[in-house]
Amino acid sequence: MNKVRKIASLALLVPLSIALAACGSGAAPAPTAGDTAASGPKSGTLTVWCWDPTFNIYAMKEAAKIYAKDNPDVKVNVVETPWDDLQTKLTTLAQSKETKQLPDIFLMQNNAYQKNVINYPDLFSDYGKSGVDFTQFPAGVTAYSTVDGVNYGLPFDNGTAITALRTDVLKQAGMTIDDFTNISWSDFITKAKEVKAKTGKPLLSGQAGSSDMIMMMLQSAGASLFDEKGNPTISNNPALLKAIDTYSELVKSGVFVEVNSWDEYIGTFVNGNVAGTINGVWIMGSIQTAKDQSGKWAVTNLPKLDGVAGATNYSANGGSSWAISSNANYELASDFLNKTFAGSKELYETILPSSGAVANWLPMADSSVYSKPLDFFGGQPVFSKVLEFSKQVPKNNTGAYYYEGRDAVSAAITKILNGTDPAAALDEAQKTVEFAMK
Amino acid sequence: MSSPAVQATGRPTARARLKKGGAARPPNPRRFGIEQRRNVTGWVFLLPAALLIMWMNFYPMIQAFILSLKTGRGTRLNFAEPLWYNYQRLLADEIFKLTVQNTFIYLIVQVPIMLVLALVLANLLNDRNLRFKGLWRTAIFLPCAVSLVSYSLVFRTMFSTDGLVNDMLMGLHFIDSPINWLGQTGTARLVIILGLLWRWTGYNMVFYLAALQNLDYSTLEAARIDGAGSWRTFWYVTVPQLRPMILLTAIMSTNGTIQLFDESWNLTQGGPAYTSMSMSHYLFELSFQKNPNFGYGAALSYVILIMVAILAAIQMKVGDKRD
Repeated sequence: MNKVRKIASLALLVPLSIALAACGSGAAPAPTAGDTAASGPKSGTLTVWCWDPTFNIYAMKEAAKIYAKDNPDVKVNVVETPWDDLQTKLTTLAQSKETKQLPDIFLMQNNAYQKNVINYPDLFSDYGKSGVDFTQFPAGVTAYSTVDGVNYGLPFDNGTAITALRTDVLKQAGMTIDDFTNISWSDFITKAKEVKAKTGKPLLSGQAGSSDMIMMMLQSAGASLFDEKGNPTISNNPALLKAIDTYSELVKSGVFVEVNSWDEYIGTFVNGNVAGTINGVWIMGSIQTAKDQSGKWAVTNLPKLDGVAGATNYSANGGSSWAISSNANYELASDFLNKTFAGSKELYETILPSSGAVANWLPMADSSVYSKPLDFFGGQPVFSKVLEFSKQVPKNNTGAYYYEGRDAVSAAITKILNGTDPAAALDEAQKTVEFAMK
Repeated sequence: MSSPAVQATGRPTARARLKKGGAARPPNPRRFGIEQRRNVTGWVFLLPAALLIMWMNFYPMIQAFILSLKTGRGTRLNFAEPLWYNYQRLLADEIFKLTVQNTFIYLIVQVPIMLVLALVLANLLNDRNLRFKGLWRTAIFLPCAVSLVSYSLVFRTMFSTDGLVNDMLMGLHFIDSPINWLGQTGTARLVIILGLLWRWTGYNMVFYLAALQNLDYSTLEAARIDGAGSWRTFWYVTVPQLRPMILLTAIMSTNGTIQLFDESWNLTQGGPAYTSMSMSHYLFELSFQKNPNFGYGAALSYVILIMVAILAAIQMKVGDKRD
């Protein structure tokens, strides 16, 4: 009798207590800063979510070291969180209204800013009271993280687009990097065909089914897939049509090789099968893994779209910005970011040579480290050049539905390359995006 | 309305049992007490598990159903007008239709091939005269120990334009130029099916092997003595006895394939142009990658549930001949 009752109560208690314990462990509050005096050294702990140990995490740790000189009691705890996981975590926390579990600072892809700020304003603190001078950043970059005129992101990773080409291959075809500077896409295709005829090497490569190239072309003309109000403008968009025309001509003429995965893409130019690439400046990190090609590369601006109003030779791809969460110790977090990523030449001068992290912070353009010639790129002062480019990148509206638009256009490109009429394929993409926005 | 006996005592069961036990014996309150106590004990044992299942499985399912009736982005959710709006929307969603088509292609092509293959392999490996049986069994089961993500990545590398498969085919002069396996609809689907076969055949084989151990060996011997060849023995003696297990694996495989996610996500990323994307992959994309539309995602998950339920019911009807 007694035994039965004992066993029965145990049977009841054990699983329940396990379940309760599982719930309880997650609820422990993260330690945040104690006292935050208005002036003088601060103390406390900042938790940061970001990805890539050799790049963003490294930069954040260097920033922590620099900040610790004046504020020895501030600890920065960096938690490595790949972007896909970070987005999933943010969505889950926002959806379950558990914003107490957010870190103080997190890194966010520029293209994902509008979507997250518009859908989940509860996740963010704005930069209104941070003291950060946003005029010291390129307008094209701050636009990504600005919603209704309010800044939600401090630009870090520079996404300015560059054309990087193998000068030794160009030389075989009797050309130099100057032949590819300030040109239009039709010039580019003519010259690239010539290079291919003489050397057998295509100049560009990219992932099939990715629309990075198209998006760069669009932004170079200040155009996007959405208008000011955020409505899709995929059909009857002259810049987009021209960009797709240009892209399919690139592919069909054989000067642009399509591959299936990112690794294959990197492989094409590292192995020397393709003599150049167009991408965000961060691609230099991958280019420089090919040690045997040192001194054989040069960097210039992008070709511009023919016959499109507002077309320029400048664009961007990717890049990310620091966000302050709604759960942050705001005073400490904003002071930290303001004194490091928006105020420390030392930081950017440290991280540039070792990780290739190019600043978006414009005062760095005069820095001697930035104007140092790079042997790998034939003695070009690449980084100050990139900062020059970045000032001229036209701003465009990514919109909350950026990823929907991008994927619909990607699908349309696949169909167009398989023979569907471009206008029809884009009309279908427009419908797909309109459907997704309903 | 009710019988006088019930009215008299209010306890029809006790009264009925009394009558059965014989009118001569006086009512025995203890006996009734034991039975009731046993019942209670049983329920107490059942209760924790039942509560846990209610709380961890059924409660979220009900919540998901309520969610599927709501629309709105992010956390700004409101009940849809009309309530079934999300379900109605699915019918107009071209990408959803495409993912249903893809998933059913995987299901119809892959599951039968896999089950037949597993059955044949299990029979071969059940041979009493086979040497190194453990080695073969392990070798065929091993793919199941590999994580879904890592095997998908290996397959992606193998089937890339400059990957192992193209190199081999070109080396053997079967093809002149590399095939863009993952870049074309037909071949991309083929690669996913090949991956699924490699990963799951051994898993199903183990179920058949286990069932074969319970099979009375004398039935096979008897068949052989009666002059049945190995094919006839297999088809008329082994397979009928394995029917419950075949039913189980068929339901599990159907269930798994309809919920397919990892391969679609890691191998092809759903491309080219959504033509290899599975339903679950689309569901994930709607909820976490695109503008978060959890109501619509939940509606999609309920449609998947209904599909699984219908298919399982059909298979039970067709496959279960126990009664």
